[in-house]
Amino acid sequence: MVDFDPQLVADGLVYSSIIVLGSIGLSLVYDIADFPNFAHGDLMAVGAFGALAVHGSLGFPFPVAVVTGMVIGAVVAVLTNRVVFEPMDAGPLELLIASIGVALIYRAALMQRFGTESQSYDVGGQAPIDAAQETLGIAINVRAVAIIAVTLVLVGALHAMLQYTSLGRQMRATSANPSLARVSGIRTDRVVTAMWVIGGALAAAGGVFLGLHTLIRPRMGFDILLVLFAAVILGGIGSVYGAMAGGLVIGMVHELTPAIPVVPTRYNTAIAFVIMILILLVQPSGIAGGKTSA
Amino acid sequence: MTDGQSFLQSPIGATRGWWDDLETEERNTIVGLAVFGGLLLAATAVGILNPTYLLYLLTLAGMFTLMTLGLNVQWGYTGLVNFSVIAFWGIGAYSAAMVTAERSPLGWELHPVWGVVVAVVASALLATLIAVPTLRLRADYLAIATLGFAEIVRMVINNERAYTNGSAGIPGIPSVAEWVESPDLVSFLTIALLVAVVYLVLRRAQLSPWGRVQRTIRADEDLAQALGKNTFRFKLQSFVLGSVIMALAGVAYVHLITPLITPTGLEPIRTFYVWIGIILGGSGSNRGAVVGGLTIVAIRQAPSFIRNQLLNVPAIAPYVSEINVGALRLFLVGVLVILIVRYRSSGLLPPKREHIWSKTLEDRS
Repeated sequence: MVDFDPQLVADGLVYSSIIVLGSIGLSLVYDIADFPNFAHGDLMAVGAFGALAVHGSLGFPFPVAVVTGMVIGAVVAVLTNRVVFEPMDAGPLELLIASIGVALIYRAALMQRFGTESQSYDVGGQAPIDAAQETLGIAINVRAVAIIAVTLVLVGALHAMLQYTSLGRQMRATSANPSLARVSGIRTDRVVTAMWVIGGALAAAGGVFLGLHTLIRPRMGFDILLVLFAAVILGGIGSVYGAMAGGLVIGMVHELTPAIPVVPTRYNTAIAFVIMILILLVQPSGIAGGKTSA
Repeated sequence: MTDGQSFLQSPIGATRGWWDDLETEERNTIVGLAVFGGLLLAATAVGILNPTYLLYLLTLAGMFTLMTLGLNVQWGYTGLVNFSVIAFWGIGAYSAAMVTAERSPLGWELHPVWGVVVAVVASALLATLIAVPTLRLRADYLAIATLGFAEIVRMVINNERAYTNGSAGIPGIPSVAEWVESPDLVSFLTIALLVAVVYLVLRRAQLSPWGRVQRTIRADEDLAQALGKNTFRFKLQSFVLGSVIMALAGVAYVHLITPLITPTGLEPIRTFYVWIGIILGGSGSNRGAVVGGLTIVAIRQAPSFIRNQLLNVPAIAPYVSEINVGALRLFLVGVLVILIVRYRSSGLLPPKREHIWSKTLEDRS
């Protein structure tokens, strides 16, 4: 039996937040552009380094840096789609390979500009919160609480936008049936751009939080990419809510591995990949049964 | 042209006839390779390029060519997406290292022949293990699943210290340098021979009924099934054959190129390099795979080489020294990938007449 350890759950929530933010955009693009975007992880790194430059080099407050990082992520995502992916008349596999090229270009730019050393945000907040230590018996710092809180706000905002705004309805319609959406008068090209904006901004936020939680490295995004794919495939490609659920499960599994007997902790990422491969084999439409609520 | 006629022609005329028969892509590639080879030779003659280094590069190119040839069986012949190329290479390299190296945790110190045997068996087993459940997946899922498998293999190699020595890797693998006077030349000749044998076997397989079934599966698997072919078995054979060739490349690497293997050699970026090679060369073409293998080494080595040369020019040296070689390499590779997919997705040497017995062509004209 798995012992319940609140510390592992707290760690899991932090990691899940990062995975959720990364996988939403990956899932949206996979659905609408019909290819797995291998540059999505490196887009997270772009956001993380963007925030680092705004905060560290330009000296703006950290929240401003986070928002700027998200804007950078959105702009880079939209530009990449316009310049590289949209003009290509190619199948999913060709686009996949082109997206690897895009990923390498992002990473090359980051390495050239920021070097290959690991860096960190100079914002403090790394000391455990005493109150949490006393009441819950867990070591959690301000950074971790902020990551979870901001992720909840972002996910809540996305939910509200999808359900209660005109753009959200158009996005859901386009995702469900692009041709029908187009003949119904929805400007699907704008909706697609909106999806890249949302995906890019959330990826950038996830990248900043990953950098906040661990370290900022040019390879940080690529190293987490397959975990994102695991979340997307678990949740069902194209489903925003599926990506949220998949991200939560994969993130939790990743951090809860110490509580699982038999499996050594160092294989926690491997477990995520095994889950992903099993889902691909057994239920490729994901646990949610495909995009029903996108 | 019949055999008799070409026999009567002068050598120059025969050469001209041969040249006229070539397709545009073939001519471009030949000219490109000739210019590139000429530049390399000139650089060696002038002393910019060390002859030993040139041999090393060619040996490395031979190893990458084995990998592109292997992937060409899977992707080029049958249309199977395999993103665990480097995992099979690693299985081969580690099999050889574990059973032959003096400082391997196993401590068996067997003859390198056993390394080859273990590499072939292990890679064939792993390929079957991966292929049986995943081969029915569609292309993009297969890409993600095989990449996941490759990462699991890397994690296992990194963590199972009792067998693989973990992140420190296995040093002291018996090298060709220990047995012969001029190891660089012997390494190159050995790998060239290996490439030649694999090339001829694969070329024969491609032209055989087996190869035609594989091409049919790539074009339309339902059609192949309607013709009564057990497509799953053919796909499995293709996947295993390609993977074993990749493992042989790994064996060749540790014995002929670098007598040390560490888990960092199994980074997924190398799988991407092999894919770039195969797409650049022309998917389905063995000749294209060879060109692709050469190109991989060229694009991997060119940035640092060019940078070192430019550093000798005082006027621009301060700017050049700011360039991160690793970043420049990634950037060039990235741009190249996008350009190929965008403008030349059939590659430099698409397989056209390669699918036809040359005798059939002669009979027709």
